[in-house]
Amino acid sequence: MTGMERVPMGPPWSVDLIADLHAGVLPPEVAAQLRPRVEADPEAREVLQALDATLADLEALPPIPMPDHVAARIDAALAAEARPAAPVVSLDEARKRRNRRLGLGGGVLVAAAAAFGVVFAVSPGGQQANTPGDAAPAPTTNSNVSAPLSLKRDELGSAVGEVLKAQNYGPLETPDRLAGCLKGGGITSSGNPLGISPINLEGKDAVMAILPAGLGKYRLVVLDPTTCGPDQPAGVLADTTVGQR
Amino acid sequence: MITLAKVRCVTAAASSDADLISAHAAGDPYAFSELVKRHRDRMWAVALRTLRDPEEAADALQEAFISAFRAAASFRAESQVTTWLHRIVVNACLDRMRRRQTRPTVPLPEAGPGEPVAPRDAMSDRETSLMVQQALMELPEEQRAPIVLVDVEGYSVAETAQLLGIAEGTVKSRCARGRAKLAKVLGHLRNRIADANVPADGVNVQEQRQWEGR
Repeated sequence: MTGMERVPMGPPWSVDLIADLHAGVLPPEVAAQLRPRVEADPEAREVLQALDATLADLEALPPIPMPDHVAARIDAALAAEARPAAPVVSLDEARKRRNRRLGLGGGVLVAAAAAFGVVFAVSPGGQQANTPGDAAPAPTTNSNVSAPLSLKRDELGSAVGEVLKAQNYGPLETPDRLAGCLKGGGITSSGNPLGISPINLEGKDAVMAILPAGLGKYRLVVLDPTTCGPDQPAGVLADTTVGQR
Repeated sequence: MITLAKVRCVTAAASSDADLISAHAAGDPYAFSELVKRHRDRMWAVALRTLRDPEEAADALQEAFISAFRAAASFRAESQVTTWLHRIVVNACLDRMRRRQTRPTVPLPEAGPGEPVAPRDAMSDRETSLMVQQALMELPEEQRAPIVLVDVEGYSVAETAQLLGIAEGTVKSRCARGRAKLAKVLGHLRNRIADANVPADGVNVQEQRQWEGR
């Protein structure tokens, strides 16, 4: 008999009370007594059915994929976060990792990469510093070995995640040359790029640099390494900003 | 000097979430991004459905993933990686909700609240989900968050209570209130049944009036 007096009288019962019963809010002993009475009442039963139909609607909501520009922005933020902690690595290790990510077999590429013997250090500022007594920069032909990302003009944003992980000047070779090429395009940027990598833009060998462009935004600049320079605006093949609107 | 040669790179598709977290803790710079890649769509759906505003959802997720990135090294596998990551995302969304001074009203664009736009069986699935989505956006935040987690994303009441930092009973009763409102807005409750007991909360005033003649 305990709890008997707490069982709400009805019918009718309020929609809220039936929703509580439906959601398991009521104490078990109250629910046990109320349920058969609610189920015996046609109106209350319709409320239960309406609640079931509502649940079915909610469960059937389609997934919402993350938009590309949000994904790129988050990749970029995580890459920037990862950079200060990045340990000193040898270039061939870095290449091996990149090749693994691209799903390529390592062997041949490692052999090619081993020819470099160059070591670079990634400092907290994201700068690439050649070690003293460093060998000459890699010959441009070798930049093809790591199979640069092949991109179309309208899909530059999709490369942000990959390029942010790289500090590979490729045929541009040095930060100074990059700075010259940016200047040629009237692009001012202080410091080193957030990421830089050789790419292939619609069949043409190029270099993509990612520059900071304000909170949550990234400026993607694609340069033609064969023509760009301080007085060569045409060396800028593409220049676009992605990220938060 | 640490070289990556000794660091296990486990970003392959077969790795478990826990493997990725360990790899991240061990210095694999790509493991965490891979983890995020796996879960970002679901997290995005939660953030967007909870916060309603895409810009805010993106900000909240970025904030959450960065803080998870920093905390991941100390992650202990006593909870599921997904739950752990989800908790961080939900907390980031809740923080934003709390910081928000005003709650903008998102009107139902095609029909007033409580006026089902068409007989339900005549509507396409797409129209239905649009309507459900809009109705969900109308719920007060305290009801929307548990409904998104329990009813849309399929989390258990216990997990949701943990994620939101409220009692299980509170999760259940907020879900009950929210579902009752949604049942009305979505037209599942026929007029003669729907009584005036579901609080209007300034949302369904029109609907309330419509049903008062019962």
